[in-house]
Amino acid sequence: MSPLLDVKDLRVTFETEDGVVHAVDGISYSVDTGRTLGIVGESGSGKSVSSLTTLGLTRTEGAKVSGEILFDGNDLVAMSDDELRSIRGNQIAMIFQDPLSSLHPFYKVGWQLVEAIRAHRSVSGKAAHSRAVELLDLVGIPDANRRANQYPHEFSGGMRQRAMIAMALANEPKVLIADEPTTALDVTVQAQILALLDDLQQRLGMAIIIITHDLGVVAETADEIAVIYAGRIVEHGSTAQIFKSPQHPYTWGLLTSIPRLDIQRDEELVPIAGRPPSLIHRPAGCFFNPRCPYARDEMRRIDPRLEPVAGESDHQVACLLEPEVRTRIWKGLQEGQSPASLRTLASPLRTQASAPAAQGANEVSE
Amino acid sequence: MRNTARAAIIAVIGGLLAAVVAACGSSSSGTSSATTANIPLKPGENPVGQTLYGKTKGGALTVYSSEDFEHLDPGESYFVQDYAIDYATQRPLFTYPPNSSNTLVPDLATAMPTTANGGITDGGKTVTVHIQPNVKFSAPVNRAVTSADVAYAIERGANPNVANPYFISYFGASAPTPLVGTTSAKYAGGPIPGIQTPNPTTIVFHLTKPGASFLIQALSMPISMPVPESFAGPLDKKAPTTYGTQDLVATGPYMLKSDSTGKFAGIGYQTGKSATLVRNPNWNASTYSQLYHPPAYLDNININIGGDASVIGQQVLKGTHSVQLDTPAQSVVKLAYQTYPSQITFTTGAGDHYVAVNNSAGPFKNANARKAFWAALDRNAIVKARGGPLVAQPMTHFIYPGLNGFQQSGGYPGPQVDYNKNPNGDMTVATKYMKAAGYSSGKYSGNATVQIVGANNGNDPAIIQIVNNALTGLGFKTHVSEVDQSVMYAKYCGVPKQEIDACPTVGWVRDFADPLTLLYVPFYGPSIVPTNNSNWGQVNDPQINAAMQQAALVNDPNQRAQAWANVDKMLVDQAVAAPEEFDNQPNIESKDVAGVNQLWDIGQWDFMFSSLK
Amino acid sequence: MTTYILRRVLWGIVLLFLVCLLTFILFNVLPSADPAQLRAGRNASPAIIAHIRHELGLDKSVLEQFWVYITNIFLHFNFGYSFYSGQSVISLIGDRLPATLSLTVGAVILWLLLGIPIGIISAVRRRTFVDRTAMGSALFFVSMPIYWLGLIVLFLFASDIGKFPILPGANSYVGITTDAGKWFTSLLLPWFVLAATQAAIYSRLLRGSLIETMSEDYIRTARAKGLPERRVVWKHGVRAAVTPVITVLALDIGALLGGAVLTETVFDIPGIGRLNYDAIIHSDFPVVQGTVLLAAMFIIVANIVVDIAYAYLDPRVRYS
Repeated sequence: MSPLLDVKDLRVTFETEDGVVHAVDGISYSVDTGRTLGIVGESGSGKSVSSLTTLGLTRTEGAKVSGEILFDGNDLVAMSDDELRSIRGNQIAMIFQDPLSSLHPFYKVGWQLVEAIRAHRSVSGKAAHSRAVELLDLVGIPDANRRANQYPHEFSGGMRQRAMIAMALANEPKVLIADEPTTALDVTVQAQILALLDDLQQRLGMAIIIITHDLGVVAETADEIAVIYAGRIVEHGSTAQIFKSPQHPYTWGLLTSIPRLDIQRDEELVPIAGRPPSLIHRPAGCFFNPRCPYARDEMRRIDPRLEPVAGESDHQVACLLEPEVRTRIWKGLQEGQSPASLRTLASPLRTQASAPAAQGANEVSE
Repeated sequence: MRNTARAAIIAVIGGLLAAVVAACGSSSSGTSSATTANIPLKPGENPVGQTLYGKTKGGALTVYSSEDFEHLDPGESYFVQDYAIDYATQRPLFTYPPNSSNTLVPDLATAMPTTANGGITDGGKTVTVHIQPNVKFSAPVNRAVTSADVAYAIERGANPNVANPYFISYFGASAPTPLVGTTSAKYAGGPIPGIQTPNPTTIVFHLTKPGASFLIQALSMPISMPVPESFAGPLDKKAPTTYGTQDLVATGPYMLKSDSTGKFAGIGYQTGKSATLVRNPNWNASTYSQLYHPPAYLDNININIGGDASVIGQQVLKGTHSVQLDTPAQSVVKLAYQTYPSQITFTTGAGDHYVAVNNSAGPFKNANARKAFWAALDRNAIVKARGGPLVAQPMTHFIYPGLNGFQQSGGYPGPQVDYNKNPNGDMTVATKYMKAAGYSSGKYSGNATVQIVGANNGNDPAIIQIVNNALTGLGFKTHVSEVDQSVMYAKYCGVPKQEIDACPTVGWVRDFADPLTLLYVPFYGPSIVPTNNSNWGQVNDPQINAAMQQAALVNDPNQRAQAWANVDKMLVDQAVAAPEEFDNQPNIESKDVAGVNQLWDIGQWDFMFSSLK
Repeated sequence: MTTYILRRVLWGIVLLFLVCLLTFILFNVLPSADPAQLRAGRNASPAIIAHIRHELGLDKSVLEQFWVYITNIFLHFNFGYSFYSGQSVISLIGDRLPATLSLTVGAVILWLLLGIPIGIISAVRRRTFVDRTAMGSALFFVSMPIYWLGLIVLFLFASDIGKFPILPGANSYVGITTDAGKWFTSLLLPWFVLAATQAAIYSRLLRGSLIETMSEDYIRTARAKGLPERRVVWKHGVRAAVTPVITVLALDIGALLGGAVLTETVFDIPGIGRLNYDAIIHSDFPVVQGTVLLAAMFIIVANIVVDIAYAYLDPRVRYS
């Protein structure tokens, strides 16, 4: 049986005055009922665009979309606006990063829930309202009846996100896409929201896609994780695989930037050096090479493909480093060594390369 | 001085805009004002010889005026526009028929007083006037006008609540020939000993000097229009009087539409909106002399106040049964002249403009410097700036066309002095006079900066520029200020202490045909006052002062005209001011209107003689 | 909320007082003609000028004049009497207000009917031919001086002087109580002229506001709910985008009620604007004060209305 949501070779481009933006460049993933997929990447990596495209929300912005998004076997990409709209907010729902700006400031929370319900169900206003209160109660908002008559600005940040979740759940969707659901919240509230999502999934049995820049967010909740970089998936595996034997230098960067108490580090916790590449003028070769401490000359020419990791099922990576080198570097990183000191691990092979390559490698390290 | 300037300002602003519109929309408007230059007036355009009698009776005339009226009380009026209503609704003792600019006829009076008919006695110090017996006031007064009503009309002019603008200058303390009992500075209203009413149809004026001729002419002004004390007296106790703002009674063929109590405010006149003249039911056409009897053809005169002058002008030219009361926009004058020539008239003798130069201080205290300036000034350029030869001619002396003494003092060419000969400005002559003034190079070599203050409205700035060019051409350093016209008078040119050297945008309009009304206030030394001064050049020449005093007392018409022409000559000889131009007044009417212009005033429509075709 | 409005009203009164003070100072300090001299006419004797000065109260100290003026206004609602016509300022204003009101109300309705749909369509169909055409013509009307537009419209369409005589032109205004039909037709051209510029401004304003609003997160949420686009635009977009427009609208109405001098002049409509203009020309201080105060009052009231409307429109304001 095919998965509930199956994204195949999705490509999304935008025409702008500066050139064509390749926001999503051939990504594939799937998620099934009761399962949680984490999509992880920095901002600007295209992770949000892929999920907005799922709902057809990039259509209004003049995006060009190719590939397939199969939902229950139907291709969302090929659907008419109206067909897609009947699925949106109904069978596939979405919550967003900033719950304050995502709720309409001029309407009461209850009203906004009622609107969501009545967009897809012909029920009376009264019935919709009691359903709205029920939903608020479901997401753990105390005194839901009173709260339904309040405006978003009267809610705390966590309450707003709960309200957003309630709204997303209004029509018992089969898929819930949560785009950075906790980023705007403080740490304790983050944990509550994640626990709530987990709890709701167990109760309602929907598929969840959590989009985040923070691997920590998906560590507890996701069943599998896709790491996305410059519009492409660079590593894809089960949560256990990604955390235990990450294969891509970008994933390493993400992992080592999670604060941990159990290991010693010989330098300050730093995010990955450099900035994500322009999606208009993308680098030649591996897109990650300008930021990769271990990049070699041929990696500036050869574009790696997502390939299975030897010895691990359902774990894929797009990296030109040799598997054994990747294993040694990750081991070193886990011991708290700095990427700079581990660069030499990638270098024995460099002797086989030509002299200009060494020069290039130095450049990369800067 | 009567106020004509404001109408012109609005007309010009509107005209400029209309010119822009016309330039966008019309192919026939490409010609410049030069086209209209030097084209002689066609017969219909010159109101001299207009038909007064035997025309169509009845109908309503629509009158457009972008300007509002100022005072509808004849005791307060001085704005030219107010006169149009005053003379249609009230009867002065004497008046000018519309086809004469200078010959008076009896109106409320039965005859012109002369020595022969016993009207002038006591060597010209006493004037006796008999009035028509059956002239009735409109409701609610409804009784015959008596001599006491004329006496009250004049004495209330001194009442500060009325403050007739001419009382002091022509009848009271500052007059050349005051009425007996008005010369005290303390006199401020109440019965005048110099006015006696021996019976209801006789009024006798006693003057302190033999000024009968001048008095008789002055009695053509609205101040002689009768006012019933029984009605107006209580109103005149308010400050300001409400006679003329709330209530009014009429003696003329028309009246401002009123209710039975005489209240017209909000009925026959709405400030800033409209005025409505209807026939005065108490008017009797037979109460006039053989010399003058207004036909009063029209039934109604509906005056619409406000609006853009260029729009109004088009409405009149393209519409029916309408005229414009105030000055048409320049663009409209041009359009009318080119496309509707039978619907425009030009009345000469509508005023003048000159540069008032400071005779009492600064570089122009020297008469030769003034002559040099006169010679250097390009009067033709000024004529052009005013709108071209249709509306202006170069001014050559101080008595302007249409007044007694104009011909005697040189007519249009003016006195044959070298600094007057060339209206284009003559630098050779100017240099000669600069040398005579003690500047050996022919250019000014002193340190003074000439202060020039002019009005910033309409085409006045262009005039200021031409004047400034003349002055700088003579080597003067100048400082030019352009201010609002009222500010120019109130704060600069009318305040001798300010020592303004040149006021290039001042002018004068006669009050009646006697040249005294042109020359006495602006050039008579003793008329200088510290504020609100109208002798802007502070001209105070003992010989000229004496000549004016004598001329004021001459009663024979020809000798009087000659005496004032002589004064004019002295003013020219001293170059007391630098003349700019004589004004003509354009007036426009619809094609079905047989309008009649008052030639004596500034040429505006006379509602008693105008008719529909 | 009540105390809030009360506070605003009190502030409004203080502001009106300051406006009184300011106009008073301007008239007393800036060079302008002396009203007593204007009334006295030419060559008036100093005695007469002094008398008039006394009658007009101009001989009192400046402070005293101001005190008399202020107490009359605030205690007796008496704005004084015109120096020029002697009529009470209140009656003059009352006489002129209906015309200004008629002009304003009609123009506002017209420009909203034009400006709002154009603004919305332009924003929704952004960068299309429709948008470019609408915004191009809006720019044209915005840059058109209203007096000039008035003249052009008259020379084109006025029934008496126009090339295509279809509608009543200048000085055709009659009061609504005199003849409602004529009142309506006589105001069509002035309404259009006044509305053209404003509609252009409003369509641009609303377009900008709506474009900004449509990129808000809550619009994305509304779409994600699966709402029809029409509902997203109107219920979520326009509802929020219209708030700044309403602010400007209230202030514009306030300003217009103070008199649309140019439109009133070019169409010869006897409104507050012309009253004010004439009063300035005649140095008629009480009328100038009255009209300026009226205009200030309208603007202050408009501001209060804006604040209340804001509270009504935007719940975030209501509770803060």
